[in-house]
Amino acid sequence: MKSIRIIISVLVIFVFTSCEDYLEPVPTSVISGASFYADEAQLMQGVYNMYDGLQGANDTSSRSNHATQIEFYVTEMRSDNTRSKSGEGEAAQFDNLAVEATNGLIADHYRSFYNVIFRANTVLQNLGVASESNKAKIEGEAKFIRAYVYFNLVRLYGAIPLLDNVIGVNDDASYVRRPVADVYELIVSDLNSAVAGLDNSNGRNRATKAAAQGLLAKVHLTLGNYLEAQQLLESVMSGGFALEANFRDVFFNESNSEVIFSIGYSSGLALDSQNFSAEFLNGVGRTVGVNYVTDDAKAFMEANGGDRTVVSMRTDPIQPTQTQVIKFLPDGFDGGSDGKTFDFDARLAGNDWIVLRYADILLMHVEAIMGSSSETNAAAALASFQQVRDRAGLTDAVSSISKDDLLAERRAELAFENQRLYDIIRFGKGIDILGAYAVAIGANFTSNDLLLPFPQIEIGLSKGLLEQNPGY
Amino acid sequence: MKNIFNISMVALLVLVSACDDFDKYELPEANSIPDATPPQALFTAIQSEEVDNDGWKDFYFSNGSISATTYAWDFGDGNTSSDYEPRNKFSEEGTYTVSLTASDNNGLSNTLTKKVLVEEPPAPPVTDPVLINTVFDKLGKSSGSDCTCAGWINRSLGTQGESSTGNGSDVMKFDNNEPDHIYQEFEVTPNANYQIEVEVSFKANAGKSNPSSLEFRVLAGTGYDTGYTPTYYTETTAFPQDGYGYSSVAQTEVEANNLMTKVLNNPDDTSYIKYILNFNSGANNSVALFVRGIGGLATGSSDNERYGYSSGDEEIRIDNLVITAL
Repeated sequence: MKSIRIIISVLVIFVFTSCEDYLEPVPTSVISGASFYADEAQLMQGVYNMYDGLQGANDTSSRSNHATQIEFYVTEMRSDNTRSKSGEGEAAQFDNLAVEATNGLIADHYRSFYNVIFRANTVLQNLGVASESNKAKIEGEAKFIRAYVYFNLVRLYGAIPLLDNVIGVNDDASYVRRPVADVYELIVSDLNSAVAGLDNSNGRNRATKAAAQGLLAKVHLTLGNYLEAQQLLESVMSGGFALEANFRDVFFNESNSEVIFSIGYSSGLALDSQNFSAEFLNGVGRTVGVNYVTDDAKAFMEANGGDRTVVSMRTDPIQPTQTQVIKFLPDGFDGGSDGKTFDFDARLAGNDWIVLRYADILLMHVEAIMGSSSETNAAAALASFQQVRDRAGLTDAVSSISKDDLLAERRAELAFENQRLYDIIRFGKGIDILGAYAVAIGANFTSNDLLLPFPQIEIGLSKGLLEQNPGY
Repeated sequence: MKNIFNISMVALLVLVSACDDFDKYELPEANSIPDATPPQALFTAIQSEEVDNDGWKDFYFSNGSISATTYAWDFGDGNTSSDYEPRNKFSEEGTYTVSLTASDNNGLSNTLTKKVLVEEPPAPPVTDPVLINTVFDKLGKSSGSDCTCAGWINRSLGTQGESSTGNGSDVMKFDNNEPDHIYQEFEVTPNANYQIEVEVSFKANAGKSNPSSLEFRVLAGTGYDTGYTPTYYTETTAFPQDGYGYSSVAQTEVEANNLMTKVLNNPDDTSYIKYILNFNSGANNSVALFVRGIGGLATGSSDNERYGYSSGDEEIRIDNLVITAL
């Protein structure tokens, strides 16, 4: 009897182990998440995958993640710079500072960028397979991307769920909002790693040391750490970048010496192109036209833009009462006399999305020197400011720069580049400027509008864990 | 019959539970079920960034209240408002007790009271930097004998200056044909203008081939070795004499590390002459002043060879160094 029992035990063990192997084989003919990232070549695919996530899908499916291609809705169209042409539908909620939690575009945006966070965390989790010589660089690249995304999210939503590792589907961490200070702590630490681990050999469509320094400088300006910002900016300024002589070339001569980091797109390729260039025109994209210039921005640019005005906007050839953004004309073509006729598919445009360029660095340099003062006449600040103005043909010598002067110069230089909303909030002018703008367009503004609502679908999925922002 | 009875029971049960549901969804009004979401008052006072017209007195009150429909503000200065997000201009500096009462339509309310400090933001101060032993008195060092060079030694950059007298007091002397130096780090406000005043006396020109000059460098704190954080000592005996700050002469000569480089030549007047030098602190909150005699040969002694420079043929004395913010 005893012998029989022993035999049974052995048999049971044997059966279990062979079952595990049999039921969970590692597939050899397809890619599997469990076995991928086995070597550095596969990890590099994970690195490219982060940029793919930032690009977003160029399609019209409401289920796709459109990422950067719809970023203008939640940034520029919430500022006094742009609005939808029709004033109708979900897009118009941004025009009128009346975004609702059920808005599908914010759900798309939120989902897209947390997906990029997942992609960056996946790279970081599999760093172990990288060679010693490339490890720091790959880590720097992933941390740059993660910091870039969190920096945008924390400015758009305030306290947000903060994930620094890959989580499972039932992990509450995806819904627990963490204090803004914690988010910035991770951003600063990630960017410091990126500055230390990266060099400038990656080109402009991938993370570089200069891009990390420039982005970290903007983070420090947001946090009021002016000296750190200035030191980082001066380091970038000694790094071989320069303003393009002709303002138009910044946008249509890609990878020029002014661009420090841009999200790359390729023309004609469904998987690598973008459609925002088409959406900004009249009846070229899926919409009738979005990100149109407000009357306020039009008057401002005509008065202050210098040479930049005609490169930044034009009268809509079909509807002369409307004004279009033209910094991103599809592959540089203007669409002919009606502004909508292209001999290629303008919805598959290849214009890169510029995240950071040298003019921004120069204007941030002025901001860092000004610090908590309301104006500056420091020679170094005047020199940086003058360079930007000179290129715009505004060559009158500036002898003193006020905070309002600087904010105005940023508006003229970086118009329609998704900077305006962040700028006015960072300068402490969000309530004044958007409050006055709302009165002018007959909208209702409260300080709660400075933050977006969390998408209702996320609130629902969280089963009450994710707390909505006030006022929504 | 039995079957029918069973069916009735089921029907009865359904009715009872349906009654519960009916009660549950009754509109929440007075004398009904309790208000499960009472109002909660929340607000933040935001001072205006406007510079002109006493903008600092203007406050915007952002409203984050939950589950409320009407709002009553009391700004503590006699002003009130019922707006969702009001502005208030306070008449003078002070601490005001601001309260917000948020009410809902069930008659419930909640009040939040906060103290709001109204004060003019101080202009960022630029103060005169603090340096030690700027009149070059003969004081104690961390080791070795008392010296007018106390507080001013960095042996990685040169040999220590010498004690001497003149100008009615103790003074610092840069010996001829030696790599004598002074070096001290001090705290500054970034991007501010500073003025250095110093009294200098050159010995009469010896008429030889290597006349002495006195070189002043203001060195950027960003040029310190990575990871180094300066310490601002208050006693000359506390200063280290090596192994801190700039660690080689070559490092002090890197152009990017120099905020100011100025060379004083022999004026052929042996009296103490006051010189004024200016610098801007740039992107630094710490800088170092490095002064040395130059014009001599990098040979002739082991010290000259070690540091790669020496003063020329004349002694130079300095006194009464004053650095002020402009």
